[in-house]
Amino acid sequence: MLPEEKTGIVGWGSYIPRWRLNLKEIVELWGFNPEQPKELRVSEKSVAGIDEDAVTMGWEAARNALARAGVNPKEIGAVWFGTESKPYAVKPSATIIAEALGITPNAMATDWEFACRAASEAIRVSIGAVASGLIKYSLVIGSDTAQANPGDVLEFTASSAATALIIGSREESAAYFEASASYVTDTPDFWRRDHSRYPLHGEAFTGEPAYFKHIIGAVKALLAKTGLKPSDFDYAIFHQPNGTFPIRVAEILGFPREKVTPGLVTPFIGNSYNSSALIGLSKVLDQAKPGQRILLAPFGSGAGSDAFSIVVTDKVVEKKDKAPKVEDYLNRKHLINYALYAKYRRLINRID
Amino acid sequence: MRIVIPPSWRTRIYRYRITATKCKKCGRTAYPPSNICRYCGSREIEFVDLLNENARLITWTIIYNVMEGFEERRPVILGILETLDSKARVMAPLTDVLPDELKPGMVMEPVLRRIMEEGEHGLIHYGVSYRPLIKSSQ
Repeated sequence: MLPEEKTGIVGWGSYIPRWRLNLKEIVELWGFNPEQPKELRVSEKSVAGIDEDAVTMGWEAARNALARAGVNPKEIGAVWFGTESKPYAVKPSATIIAEALGITPNAMATDWEFACRAASEAIRVSIGAVASGLIKYSLVIGSDTAQANPGDVLEFTASSAATALIIGSREESAAYFEASASYVTDTPDFWRRDHSRYPLHGEAFTGEPAYFKHIIGAVKALLAKTGLKPSDFDYAIFHQPNGTFPIRVAEILGFPREKVTPGLVTPFIGNSYNSSALIGLSKVLDQAKPGQRILLAPFGSGAGSDAFSIVVTDKVVEKKDKAPKVEDYLNRKHLINYALYAKYRRLINRID
Repeated sequence: MRIVIPPSWRTRIYRYRITATKCKKCGRTAYPPSNICRYCGSREIEFVDLLNENARLITWTIIYNVMEGFEERRPVILGILETLDSKARVMAPLTDVLPDELKPGMVMEPVLRRIMEEGEHGLIHYGVSYRPLIKSSQ
């Protein structure tokens, strides 16, 4: 028995801020080709409000995950927070959330960094920690208020959202892990230096040598390990930096488009980085039926990918209505203009 | 705006979980928490978290002349709400809502938000704000 098979997702939850920016606003302000949003297959992006950050969004996603898990917060042995937009460069975000949810003090709590994939690695480590009996449950959060240099093409998609998973024993789970695999190399496709406000990226270099190579590497390793074929999966969820990459990587790997679209959230809210693939999983769990099999493959620049095979159990039915669904947050939206977006995302310099 | 560390740290649990005090004698719940019941003067109290209770909006004020450090949040909306079960009165910022969407009696839910921060380099003060209840599809 693989360690993965002893563990599963006991609770899941997401959060999307109410505010949305239509990408036409970015086209008009910076003089981009009006076809650009269509080419990216993204229409609007979610924007965290002035009183929100990765911690507050992660808190709400975690609260939803706890509601679905129905576990005592004191039994959570680790709070692992994956982000690349920490409110403090030094001072853990994980402890703020752990304290606010009543998990402290007998727990591990750390922030993880690996561009968009930090929370994904925390899931694999959680599997090990839970399967070994070191902890009973872990709380993994992927939350980002993604930054983008104003006028950079990245600004079209850099958005805000959060997703949280409670990992515990297979018996209590709405979906259990079957197997997992990772694929990492040193690839300079996207980075942000210590005191930089915005990340830089290698334009086209973010595609083939980064996103495609690593996701394909991780998924092929998973399929080789398990003997599963793309036709064995009911859903395929990949990291979603835009609306086109996940469809293309699915084609290359042999997954039809209809297995990808149920978990595609980026066309409506943009790329929420550490929550990008995970919010897709959250949306699929909101609608999945017992017995269905899900492929999850997040990706992070720098670069790496993990592939997970996840099987839905009967418990999904009783858990899904215990918290707001991804669809509820997608429906709760109010459009703002670029000026308000600039203020909310602190792109305007004021003297205090 | 300067955030003084010891009181900010001491009150963090109250701010994060809306910890209130319930009087064992008269049964009323008070927020912020107090060692003496503010309704009957009894010292027999217990601490309760109001984070799992939604609240009804009683009244609010829209503040246009904001304190230093709150300029980006202008207008600041402060509400007085009554929690649905324990009937505690809570004063808190209202968020994710436009002034013309506010209605007396509307049901709101507590969420953790940034309340204030000490410039770009200082501490960030987190606490509970209330926002309109999210409609859940079942």
